[in-house]
Amino acid sequence: MKKSEFRINHLIFGFSAGAIASYMLLSFPDIGSESVFMLIILNFLFVSLIFPLNGTLTRKLSMLLAGNIIGLLWNYLFSMFVVTVVNYFGRFFDIVYIILNPFVNLVWIVSFWSISLTVLANSKKENRMLRLDN
Amino acid sequence: MITEILETLFLILTALMAAYLIRHYIFTLTVLKGTPKSSKAVAIGNTTYLPTVSILVPARNEEKVVGRILQRMTELTYPKDKMQIIVIDDASTDNTGEIAEQYSSMYDHIKVVHRDEKEGGKGKTSALNAGFKHAKGEIVFCFDADYYPQRGILEKLAKEFADPKVGVVQGRITVLNEPQNVVTRLVALERIGGYRIDQQARDSLGLITQFGGTVGGVRRSLLKRLEGWDESILAEDTDLTFRVYLAGYKVRYVNDAESYEEAVESWRAYWKQRYRWAKGHMQCAFKHWFKVLRSNNLGLKEKIDGLLLLNVYFMPVFVLLSWIVGVPLFFLRPLPWFGLFWAFAPISLYSFVGNFAPFFEVGIGAYLDGRTRAQWLIPLLIFTFLYNIPICTKALTDLLLSKIKRKNSNHWTKTAHSGNGNAYIAI
Repeated sequence: MKKSEFRINHLIFGFSAGAIASYMLLSFPDIGSESVFMLIILNFLFVSLIFPLNGTLTRKLSMLLAGNIIGLLWNYLFSMFVVTVVNYFGRFFDIVYIILNPFVNLVWIVSFWSISLTVLANSKKENRMLRLDN
Repeated sequence: MITEILETLFLILTALMAAYLIRHYIFTLTVLKGTPKSSKAVAIGNTTYLPTVSILVPARNEEKVVGRILQRMTELTYPKDKMQIIVIDDASTDNTGEIAEQYSSMYDHIKVVHRDEKEGGKGKTSALNAGFKHAKGEIVFCFDADYYPQRGILEKLAKEFADPKVGVVQGRITVLNEPQNVVTRLVALERIGGYRIDQQARDSLGLITQFGGTVGGVRRSLLKRLEGWDESILAEDTDLTFRVYLAGYKVRYVNDAESYEEAVESWRAYWKQRYRWAKGHMQCAFKHWFKVLRSNNLGLKEKIDGLLLLNVYFMPVFVLLSWIVGVPLFFLRPLPWFGLFWAFAPISLYSFVGNFAPFFEVGIGAYLDGRTRAQWLIPLLIFTFLYNIPICTKALTDLLLSKIKRKNSNHWTKTAHSGNGNAYIAI
């Protein structure tokens, strides 16, 4: 793997893209405030910690875009599921949804963030080396 | 009235979680940017400094691994005439003592200290103090019996002692048996976050770098002044760290001085080990909290970091408390800001895993180590955190009960080692 260098220019691009994405999310009418908040957290962590790493800017921007689309789809599908469940089983599940929503959101955020990191790693196979003779 | 109290409590707990999250974000960014050590430290570290060293290897019923570390000790590149190895056979009932004696008869610089049932078996701290009485080196190193260090590790660690302000030097711990099962894989991720990022950042930022009780050394003169290890504390490493800082010395971390450990292989063993760590760490918090606040030898940022470090094992308990407070608060009065703060609850799930490194810290650590697939398991770290909640809650309850009853409830539960790590060493 190539030596890591902190790519400040990618970081600046990333923050601009992340800010635009976050603004668009905030102006989205059908998405809850908790979900927007979680997506803003994803964008912030993604940009500040993944954009400075090795890898092309195009790849990083594509992943950021993919993350936001997945986030929106996830929230849309999950809220549709809850609407259906509430319709059949009552308001109690609405409260369950509101309480559990941030937890469920974070599961996909952490998973997506972790997978993105592996995509950026240069080597094609796992590099678990024991540096015994140093 | 009750609602206001719950709100205030919830806000305080959220602020605490946010403080840790920000702290670890700064740590991650610091290591990612590759902040160099101070120029003075680099200049001193580059000189060749080879003091006499004593290596303490406490061993109680370690017949499956003690031969491996002693063999490795004979292969270290450090000058043999400057090295003394002391194996403390701590009232073992297996062949640990015999194996150690075999090595002692073959190598002059290996000495075995046997302890019988009457004086031994009281835990690692007691064994270390027994070994320390025989130590003659200027620097006293500690290695657990299940460890397997790099050949040149002592040179890398010892050179940092050229700086007279350095009292303790800590090396990096990496899991040897990582591929064994999901527990060892998750422990390996915790170790990556804890050492590659956490320790490295604290060293770079001049904060409280922690001595891990193994793969590290302390100045003999300083240890003598501090009257050895405190046997009333289960986390003797954290205790020594704070006593060293309070005495006006520093702890240095050397990332490329690596040693490999056999990680716990089951959730049951994980519970026992972490319970001991949690209880010991909490004992240290009670012992050092006010000393850190009042110390003239610590700067403001060291004090802040020191207090956060001392309180870290309370956090799983506080997270549990924030959920207990948060849910009824949601029903009582869902304020406009509540949703925002409620979002902190799940974030905290991934913020206090294992060594209490957040998921992004673990991920970046693995990336910097050149790992490409280890990150896939990061989502599973949620289970280690959930597991840490009852562990830390029980540790705190037991500690408080023992304080109320004024009864010392310290019981050193030894981590059993299977020797499975041998399979991962290419000889």
